[in-house]
Amino acid sequence: MHTLREGRLKTDMTTSVHRTQSSRQTPAPVLLAFALMIIWLVLPLVPIVVWSFAKRWFFPDLVPGEWSLQAWQYLFSPVSGLGKAISASLAIAIPVTLLSCCIGIPAGRALACYNFRGKRAVQLLVLAPVLVPGIAVITGLHGIMLNLELNNQLAGVIVAHLIPALPYMILVMASTFARFDTEFEAQARTLGANTFQVFTRVTLPAILPGIVIGALFTFLVSWSQYILTLIVGGGRVVTLPLLLFNFVSAGRNDVAGALGVIFILPGLIILIAVARFISGRSGIAELPSRL
Amino acid sequence: MPRLGRLRARKIRFQRLTPWLLLLPALIVIVPLFAGGLAAGLLRSFNYMPVIGLDSPNLAAYSALLRDDEFLPSLLLTTYIALTSTVIASLLALGAVLMIRRLNAGRSLINFLLQLNLTIPHLVGAVGIVYLFSQSGSFARLALHAGFINEPQQFPALIYDPAAIGIILVYVWKELPFIALILLASLQQGGEEFEAVARTLGASRWQVLRFVTLPNLLPALLASSMIVLAFTFGAYEIPALLGAYYPAPLPVLAYRKFTDVDLASRPEAIAISMIIAVLSLIFVLLYAHITRRQIEN
Amino acid sequence: MLNVQLCQLRLNKLNPLQALILFFSITLLTPTTVTAASENEFADDSWDEIVAAAKGGEVNWFMWGGSDDINRYVSDFVGGLLKKRYDITLNRVGINDTVEAVNLVLGEKEAGNTDSGSVDLIWINGENFRSMKQGDMAFCGYLDAMPNNALIDWENDSIANDFGVPVDGCEVPWSKAQFAFAYDEKRTDTPPTTIAALIDWVTKNPGRFTYPAPPDFSGSVFVRHVFYHAAGGVKNLLVDFDQALFDEVAAKTWQILNDMKPALWRAGRTYPQSITQLDQMFANSEVDITFSYDPSSVGLKIENGSYPATTKGFVMTDGTIGNTSYTLIPFNSPNKAAAIVLQNLLTSDEAQYQKALPEVWGTMPAIDLSRISDEYKDKFNTLERHPSVVSEAELAEVALPELQSSWITAIEEGWKENVAR
Repeated sequence: MHTLREGRLKTDMTTSVHRTQSSRQTPAPVLLAFALMIIWLVLPLVPIVVWSFAKRWFFPDLVPGEWSLQAWQYLFSPVSGLGKAISASLAIAIPVTLLSCCIGIPAGRALACYNFRGKRAVQLLVLAPVLVPGIAVITGLHGIMLNLELNNQLAGVIVAHLIPALPYMILVMASTFARFDTEFEAQARTLGANTFQVFTRVTLPAILPGIVIGALFTFLVSWSQYILTLIVGGGRVVTLPLLLFNFVSAGRNDVAGALGVIFILPGLIILIAVARFISGRSGIAELPSRL
Repeated sequence: MPRLGRLRARKIRFQRLTPWLLLLPALIVIVPLFAGGLAAGLLRSFNYMPVIGLDSPNLAAYSALLRDDEFLPSLLLTTYIALTSTVIASLLALGAVLMIRRLNAGRSLINFLLQLNLTIPHLVGAVGIVYLFSQSGSFARLALHAGFINEPQQFPALIYDPAAIGIILVYVWKELPFIALILLASLQQGGEEFEAVARTLGASRWQVLRFVTLPNLLPALLASSMIVLAFTFGAYEIPALLGAYYPAPLPVLAYRKFTDVDLASRPEAIAISMIIAVLSLIFVLLYAHITRRQIEN
Repeated sequence: MLNVQLCQLRLNKLNPLQALILFFSITLLTPTTVTAASENEFADDSWDEIVAAAKGGEVNWFMWGGSDDINRYVSDFVGGLLKKRYDITLNRVGINDTVEAVNLVLGEKEAGNTDSGSVDLIWINGENFRSMKQGDMAFCGYLDAMPNNALIDWENDSIANDFGVPVDGCEVPWSKAQFAFAYDEKRTDTPPTTIAALIDWVTKNPGRFTYPAPPDFSGSVFVRHVFYHAAGGVKNLLVDFDQALFDEVAAKTWQILNDMKPALWRAGRTYPQSITQLDQMFANSEVDITFSYDPSSVGLKIENGSYPATTKGFVMTDGTIGNTSYTLIPFNSPNKAAAIVLQNLLTSDEAQYQKALPEVWGTMPAIDLSRISDEYKDKFNTLERHPSVVSEAELAEVALPELQSSWITAIEEGWKENVAR
């Protein structure tokens, strides 16, 4: 328990530092920068939402010439294939996330809790798919998958998505386990807990925030994947990004806007649902600086 | 005693195996898919496929690339886009983080927005940027109503332009929050105590920034920008949607050649992929170098 | 399978390099056998036999997916009829570019997949058809078994030849299209109606015109119009590729296009990369003229809000190029019978009429209207086009043929070398 307490202590210190700072007034330039930053982050989302309800919105009109539900009506009609695309996206992203959890949790533990020869090489191997773009790997992999008859179907796309998704899970779990003290497990074992109990009662609760964050990342990597799905799915696996790309390149701003809104929603919902895991010091993002 | 010793030895041997057993599933996925994909690509890019009769590897695909008028401009453009986006996003993220730390209120709002942005697909961001910045986009319309311009063409050409400003804007929008979140996390890992100490020792605000905060942030900043650099170098969708007609950035060129009806251009496409891979592997090694230095420090 | 093989390799204690090489020689380099497409599989079958074979099946139809109107017509109307009458499920697969479907078949052929391909039908013409036909990837020779083949006028050159390539029973015409321009009445009083006048108009209205960079389909057609103009007419060009003739006409064409450059949008330093981009620039008053290979699209785009309501279609009096688009069954489609039933339905007077309705799509029928039932003859005769779309009679009067693909490729490459940079 001492590590946890230490953690809390640290947080207390940090807040006290804040408190001394906050006794002063925030300077105007900082406030201005704050406002600009908020605007910059939100601004591109505004026209997407507006376009989804717009019709005849031409230069130089600041508001649409007409408000219309035609984009939404089209998308929610059976013709659009939206339902199919969403189910395809989920049927890929969910298995990718689950597989990544099963594979990534032990791997993360290995990288964080053990010292072994070749560890540095394994770390780099795990990190490499994050840095080497998908298109570089998939053009070579395509021929292999063709021969394994994995192309043009969900299974192949799931396998392909694992390449960029799995490393995120491993990295998140490595950073989670790095903060986890395996002594707890040993203590629980000496107190008579069996392996299963140790895992469900001690390990799992401690690493759950990490799993949630890792799963969120993995899901989003798969959810937004375009080029891997296009090449491996060969047009037969139509996910939401493919549908969106179709309408963006066809210049249908209204339909593209509505699809954009739908595209953002799961991430937003998950983010709000898991906000408590992400907020505070447990960092999604501290990982890269860990390895 | 000897028995105990043997048991112990077995236990140690087992412990030595444990990390590898834990890593096995991950390696089974990553090695054939990632390393295998790259290796297969490499063989194909050298036209080496013994079974279909291509058993003398050659550099035909690479020399064809060098003869292709579009390749060099494409390489330069891609490098320029990746470097510019990364530098701008990194500097802005650094500024943003320093700004966020001086805020009294609104921290959680900005934290939420940064995380929200992280979940938004690049494709959606690109759509939003076009709506805002094109010559007939929201800003051009505002400029017209404010009397700055009389027609769309007087508004600066930011999208579909040879300078790739539209592409860079999307990347800055998406990657700034990514870098900023990493920096914030890295700051929370104990950096603030050092600053407090420095303050109590009488350091000025500038001295704290220069000698404590920035050195503290540097490794995380470099590492995260390396990730961004590699990503912006190899991403397809954004340049495919927002690029000018010529030259196409490398990933777009690779995809075009890969899907060309003329099968002969496939090895060229894969050769481009290999070039992208080699350059990003260089980023990986740089990254390793940087983070190792961080550990040593 | 991937993993199993790797494990086996590990068990065999090969060194990593050997293992890798072995691994790839197993998976990547498996010999592929490609057998030629079996032709006439259905030629001797009666129609009833084909319909019976198709019952309860499905058709995967690959087609450009960026128009909600076309998607709706195909999925709702055609898909509905196909299900109701023949118990066949239509699966419309939306793609960005037809070449994606061609590539898919090509990849399958490379991998030795001769009877279980993923594509059953492609909306296709031109270059892509040539690739399919030359690569022996088209299923041919079944047309006589199809009742509605009788409605198709194979004597008509523009039907029997797809961009100069003889169709030879390898595809079924679906729609006719003809290039048409569009302008906004509110911005432009009278648009130029010959290519010569257009060139003049461009120089007098700097920055208000541009065209998508070839090989964009529409941009390429525009350049061909200038090429026809430079040649003084299309007559001499309707032959096999002739380098000397090409060089002579091309030099004039590049001259015209390069002279035009400073007066183009962004002074010709860059071009739109797609017709979509040109359309949006037109709608937002960035340029004053746009064009399309589907003249009816003006009506659809006004109705769906992509174009201002004051947009009007127009043609060049010295002619605009027309073509026919087709549907094609790949050689390795596992659902050929169902695909044939679908093609037959698509060429029925009923489906062609529905497609011609301005609120549905408004595109021109590919069947010979003199051969259809009196009921549909009347319907077609009283069909009203969208008021902003150029009338069919007007289009027919100025129709020009397409060139052979070899000319088109040469023009596109020449443009890239001589005009683009």
